Parts: sequence; C-alpha cells; structure tokens
Amino acid sequence: MPLKLGAVSEQIEHMAQAMAALSPAQEQFLEQAQALLRSIPADALRLKLEQQRQRQVRFPWLVATPHGSLCGAILAHPAPVDFCVIGVDASSVPPDRHRSVRFYVLNVGYAALTYGRYADAVLDAESQLYFRDEDLYLFPEKRDVPIEGTLLNARMEVESLQTLQEVIQHRAHRSSGERPPIVALRDGPLILWTLQSEPQEVQDKLLYGFLQAMSSLRQSGIPLAGYISYTDSRDVANSLRVWICQESPNECEHCKNSKRDLCLALAKIRDRDLFNFLATGERSELFASSSQILERYGEHRVDFFYLNVGGEIVRVEVPHWVSADAEWLSLLHAVIYDQSRRSPGFPPYPPALLEAHEQAVITTTERRLIEEMVERALGLHGQSVLRSAKDDSKRRRGI
Amino acid sequence: MRIGEIVETTSTGFVAESFTLNRPPPLGSLVAVSLPAQDMEIYAVVAYGQTVGLDPGRRAVRRSTEIVFDEAIYHEHPELKHILRTEFGAVLVGYLAEGQVWQHLPPQPPPLHFSVQTVETGELRRFTDHLLYFRLLLSYNGPVSPLQVLAANVREVYRQRGSDRAWLDVAAREIATLLKNDHEALLTVLYAIDPGEASAIAERRGQL
Repeated sequence: MPLKLGAVSEQIEHMAQAMAALSPAQEQFLEQAQALLRSIPADALRLKLEQQRQRQVRFPWLVATPHGSLCGAILAHPAPVDFCVIGVDASSVPPDRHRSVRFYVLNVGYAALTYGRYADAVLDAESQLYFRDEDLYLFPEKRDVPIEGTLLNARMEVESLQTLQEVIQHRAHRSSGERPPIVALRDGPLILWTLQSEPQEVQDKLLYGFLQAMSSLRQSGIPLAGYISYTDSRDVANSLRVWICQESPNECEHCKNSKRDLCLALAKIRDRDLFNFLATGERSELFASSSQILERYGEHRVDFFYLNVGGEIVRVEVPHWVSADAEWLSLLHAVIYDQSRRSPGFPPYPPALLEAHEQAVITTTERRLIEEMVERALGLHGQSVLRSAKDDSKRRRGI
Repeated sequence: MRIGEIVETTSTGFVAESFTLNRPPPLGSLVAVSLPAQDMEIYAVVAYGQTVGLDPGRRAVRRSTEIVFDEAIYHEHPELKHILRTEFGAVLVGYLAEGQVWQHLPPQPPPLHFSVQTVETGELRRFTDHLLYFRLLLSYNGPVSPLQVLAANVREVYRQRGSDRAWLDVAAREIATLLKNDHEALLTVLYAIDPGEASAIAERRGQL
C-alpha cells in the first residue's frame, strides 16, 4: 500500500489537537463579532462601503451590503395550502482529452413536488450528449475556448435554468384554471462567480442563456432561489472587517488597529456561524453581494439572506426582482422552511433538491456504459476510439 | 386485470413490479401471464411481496411526526410514490396450452416485461380442480417458507372458490399425503390454513 496511513494518522491526530486548542479562542471572537453585528447601524455601514467604493478601494474580499438591519431576524410565514416546488440539479460526463472522440453529456434532473389538495410529484431528467463544434467550443468558427472545467460547469448551470423554465412552461400548457404558487429552487449559487476570471466575451456567451432563463421565470411569475447548504461565505463577516478597518483593507501587514486581532479572527469566521443566533425558521435581512460578475446581471442582480432551516444556517440567493417583491420573498421563505420540515434527514435538505439530485446523478456504471455505447456505435461505423498512451497504461496497470 | 410487470424471470418463477404501491397481490393467490403468440397462459402463485426504495442504495427513513403518520405521510411527501416500488415474487405452478391445463413447469420462463394478471374465478376453479401443483409449491425456495406459501394458497383458493369445503377437504388430504413423513411440517401447514379446521382434520386422520 503506497499511502503511508501510519504517517497520515499521526497528522490527523495533530490536526484534531490543533482544532480543539483553537476552538475556545474562536468562540470568544465569534461572540465579539456577533456583538459587533448587533451594534453597527446598517446605514452607517452602507455609507462606509459606498464611500470606499467611490474612492475605488478594491476590497480583497467579497463584502455584503445590508438592505436592512444587520442582526434582524424574520420568522417564516406558514406555507400556502396548495403550492408547488420545482427543484433542479445537474451533473455531467466531462470531455476526456485522452480519447480520440470528444464529447460530453449533461444530465439535468428535476423534481416538481405539488403539495396540498392536488398532491403530486413529477421526477425526471433531461439527458443530452454534445459532440458538435458549436457544443464543444465557445467560439466554434475558430475552434477556440473549449467547453471544459469551469466553462462546462457554467454551461451546466445554464442548462439547469433552461430546463427549469421548460418544465414550468410544459406544466402551464397542461394545467387549466387557477395555478397554485410555484417556487423554483436551484442547488447552488445564482452568482456564477467562477466566470469572474474569464474574458468578457466568454462571460457574455455563457451568461446570456442564464439571464434569459431568469427573465422567463420572472415573466412566468415564478420566484427563483439558489440554495446553498453548509455555505463557506464570509461576505457579512468581511463587511464587519471593513467597518473596524481604519486604514486601507489592502494593507493588513502594516495595520496598527486595536481591533486587529478581532479583524484577523473575522477572516476565519463564516457567516453561517455569525448568524447562528437565528431561531429555527428565521431568516436574516437581505444583503447585496459585491461579487464582480453581478455587474453583468442587470435586473437579475443577486441578493441573499441566511436562514435557519433547523440544524443548519443556509444561504439563499435570490434575483433582485424576487427580493424587491415582499410577497414573493415571503412565499420563498415560507416554502423553503416548509421543505426543511418535510426533509427525511437531519440537518434538513429540501426534498425537491434531494430528488432533483437523485435524478441528475450519473453513476460510475452509467459513465462506463456511455463509454461502451460510444465505442460500440463508432465501431459499427468503422471508427475506432483511440486512447492516449497515458490513459491506456492506467487502465491496463500491467506489472 | 393487469396488476404488475415482470422485472426478473427464471424457469421456476418471476419477480414483478406491482402497479399499486404497498399492495402486492395477496400471498398465495393465483396469477397468470398471457402469451397470445404461443396461445398459452402461464400460472403462478404469489410467494412474497415487498416494498423497497427504487434505488437499492437508498434506505427508507422514518417520516412520521405526531400529527402526520400512516397514509398522511404519502400526502405530505408526494415524491414517495415515485421513489418506492412494490414488487412480488411468484412461483410457476403450471400453464394452459391447447385447451389443456398442465401442472408442471412451462417450457420457457415467462418473458421479461410481460404483464401479470389476476385470474378469474372460473379459470381458478379449472386450475385448482387438480392439486399436483402443491408439489411445485413445496419445492419453492424463497424468502417465505414453502409451507406458509402453500397454506396461504389454500386459504386464498378456498375463499375464491366461495368457501368450497369439499375442495378444502381434498386439499387437506393431499397435503397430509405429501407431508406424511414430516408431522411438524404438516401441522404447520394445517394450523396456518385454519387452526380449528386443522385440528378437526388432523383428528379425523388420526394425526394428532
């Protein structure tokens, strides 16, 4: 066994000891951070963030601008009697550069769960294999910018929202009479921050479909949210750092601020811990994200809030047209909390997203099957699939 | 009436997915698979039923609360009807071909994905007028003991034949003959059919 488990196990013990030693100090800083959160007037923080922005101070971290009180807590209303939640998730078989034929597969799973008098469920997936130049390259005429890695993930997000939109349209055609309220949930963020480092024309190409789908949802009168479980975000904690920072947030190494220790501790505090004062069912006030990619979102600019679903503080991202509509926001809050109540597990996770994931997932067996089907189909047409020597040697593992 | 679809098939039996969740056909009931192309009807006896997750990797977890339980759980979680499946296994006991009933294994297993149907009373009477198929039931090997499957079949047939006492007597005698060398097994079957009747029959035959 080449992995030296003995050595790793010793290091695991060291890690556990280090974390245990750190935790009382972190607890103390968390209490200080929460006291700070309660004491900062939202208007003053907004003003400070705005001033920094006007002075074109580039924050080294993402910050959150509060729309309301920083420590506000809003309790969920009861969900309506009749309503529908549509969850969507996606997975892919990425292109393999070690194979002579280039293709990828996207599988978008969805679950439309209707509750109340007309309780019903539709669980299904849209599966598609992409192999043409226009699918494989962002700029097919030049065969430039292959869709893989981050771009494939972004493409998957676009397909997810488009499928969501198609499912909703299909339901609208089928149903007659009054439609119960529908809420659309996506697994993961609405802020496609991974595109931030891409050139503008790449962002434009990929964001176009994403934003179009959001527009269609808005026109159909369906509030949309991105649900992020176990969020790593520190946007609000970072805003607290900006608040206590007397100098420039880019010159931490020369900082002589009396609250330097708290500032450094805040760098390690996640928003999910900061908002652990929320009671079950309560959400925080809304915050605006400072993510650069949102400058390209226009009317779909994303706001977010934290919500205690019972056992976990999750981050919920919503387009501005949802956060600006009190009725939609209240419906979304009520429905997400209601989903957590119906969750079969603890900490809870929305059944609509759980079932969408089950529909979307591509198993190892299915991946192998796709590979075999491609090889067989190409073989029938006199085409053989060649593999790189590296890939071949890994498969053979000859001694 | 179509009640399920075959999802596993062998020369001795099949597994079918029930069209109704949590309601497989009764244990021991006679079901049939029609093969119009061969002009054949294959008969089988339901030997077990179970409801499990559609995905074998997902186990069912508790869903009830103080106010939501039993049938209400399915209303509160509409997705359950799509992620659970009820299946039943059946043991092949004979077939109808060229107008004649045969109580031995059919030449081929019933085809995969074919429908499983209930058996009308007339057809059931015709098949169960002979009891050679009890031997096939006793050789069945599955999650439910063959003795219990046999007893369940006798109960079901007796009921469907309109509480046919004469048939029950013949069936009990047939079982007594088949299990004459295994007193405990015989009592197990007779008690499972009807404890009162079993005692009387056993007494009459001097088995007790």
